[in-house]
Amino acid sequence: MVEFLQFTLSGISFGMIYAAIALSLVLIWRGTRLLNFAQGGMAMFTTFIALEVIYHTGSYWAGFVVALAAGLVLGAVAELTVIRPVLGKPELNAVIITIGLLILLEGLAGIFYSGQYRSFPAAFSITGLRAGSTPLGVSRFDVFVAVAVLATTLLLAVGFRYTSAGLRMRAAAFNATVARLSGIRVARVITVGWALAGLLGALAGVLVSPSTFLYPNSMDAIFVFGFTAAVIGGLDSPAGAVIGGLLLGVALSYAGGYLGANVTSLVALGILIVVLMLRPAGIFSGAQVRRV
Amino acid sequence: MNSPAGTHGVQAHGPSSLAVEDLVAGYGEVLALNSVTITADAGTITTVLGANGAGKTTLLRAISGMVRPRSGRVLLDGADRAGRSPEDMARAGIAHVPEGQGVIAELTVEENLRVGMMARPGIARRRADRAAALAEAYERFGPLAERRRRLAATLSGGERQMLVIARALMARPRVLLLDEPSLGLAPRVMTQVMDMVVRLSRESGITIMLVEQNARAALAIADRGVVLNLGRVVAAADARALAADVALRHHYLGF
Repeated sequence: MVEFLQFTLSGISFGMIYAAIALSLVLIWRGTRLLNFAQGGMAMFTTFIALEVIYHTGSYWAGFVVALAAGLVLGAVAELTVIRPVLGKPELNAVIITIGLLILLEGLAGIFYSGQYRSFPAAFSITGLRAGSTPLGVSRFDVFVAVAVLATTLLLAVGFRYTSAGLRMRAAAFNATVARLSGIRVARVITVGWALAGLLGALAGVLVSPSTFLYPNSMDAIFVFGFTAAVIGGLDSPAGAVIGGLLLGVALSYAGGYLGANVTSLVALGILIVVLMLRPAGIFSGAQVRRV
Repeated sequence: MNSPAGTHGVQAHGPSSLAVEDLVAGYGEVLALNSVTITADAGTITTVLGANGAGKTTLLRAISGMVRPRSGRVLLDGADRAGRSPEDMARAGIAHVPEGQGVIAELTVEENLRVGMMARPGIARRRADRAAALAEAYERFGPLAERRRRLAATLSGGERQMLVIARALMARPRVLLLDEPSLGLAPRVMTQVMDMVVRLSRESGITIMLVEQNARAALAIADRGVVLNLGRVVAAADARALAADVALRHHYLGF
């Protein structure tokens, strides 16, 4: 029973990281109808930038903040340079471009840092917490992970719902033509969407790297899990992304705990296939089709 | 409601004249507009008529920037704005209500109206102005006030048409382009929409270009009528004169 609790709590913590990646994918999907295969690579890159800042300043939080800022910038730059030309063109172009971006980022990281695994500091203690004498399976840092992702998600949700900028983004995502005719600069809105997705990816990167170590390919598996979570929840649904992330995190935690750690990727892909076969639109997608 | 400047102190442009000169536009190999010249004087209602495929919708799209003209000019108060993007045209004061209603179904009525304000940053910036603009819209369009928090998807056809027109007006446009506002509406509702267009013209003096399949109803409210056929202007005259031209009506307009 204690094991079950530990697996659940640690699953929630990892699930939040998958949720952050899932949310970034949903943001881009809703705004541009593209799947950003480079999302994990971008997160890895900004985490390396954070590492540099931490080495040179000695301050974790400076690195944390710079990572998030770099995520914003990298997202915007990627959209302006590499993605803008393929908007409105056949979807395969965008797939190839984002995979190319992934390869570019991983290649650059490999050139600067080699394939060596680097450790990345955690914001808080990673010692397991206890309730009385029972080990809970999570640490202060894990709690921070959950809180950080939840807080960011809530901030974004509030921003979307209550600000003019958020209204512009929603209008552009739901009906770009009407948005344009209403004077909304949809191109700018798309850039902001990519910047925010970059921020979320950067957040996921710094939160997961203490556990996975940092190397050019370190975010590949996390990307797959995040993508799976997004598909589970429905690519159009931000709430679905978060719930999908949590469900997946917990499911993989049980799988890894009860069946063995080398099974987790298999289980993740298995879940992906099952969801795509049974309910391809995702569990939380509305029955309503998006009207154009 | 007679002053275009509105009641909350934000200056709007007055109504403007709209003209297209030798406008050529199309899709791929198909030329939908083949050198079209039309003038609409400030403050008037001009209706553009013709069969399906005559080029009426393309005309409005070329004016609002949804379609880039191949050549020709789009003159707003004499200034050529052809080829600008839809966002720029909207900010210049051209409000286009496209065919098929064009509410943003996933947003509420109030959010749709707020989207309409985006074309005039001067208005949207100050919260008091925004609130005043919304209040004015609700006063003018009562049914929208009652449904302000409901999703636009839940509105009836007539209510949606009201919403898109109200949204277009939030930007205090100089020119309003209406593409088949009565499409898919019951006859009674269509009459209400036409009445709304007439009231708009009288109260705010906005320049209106109205594309309509229902030529009889459109000519009844318009000042001028233009008939398109296969991308060219075949008739342009005072609306009363067009309605009286039986031969023309039978040949191009079906009644």
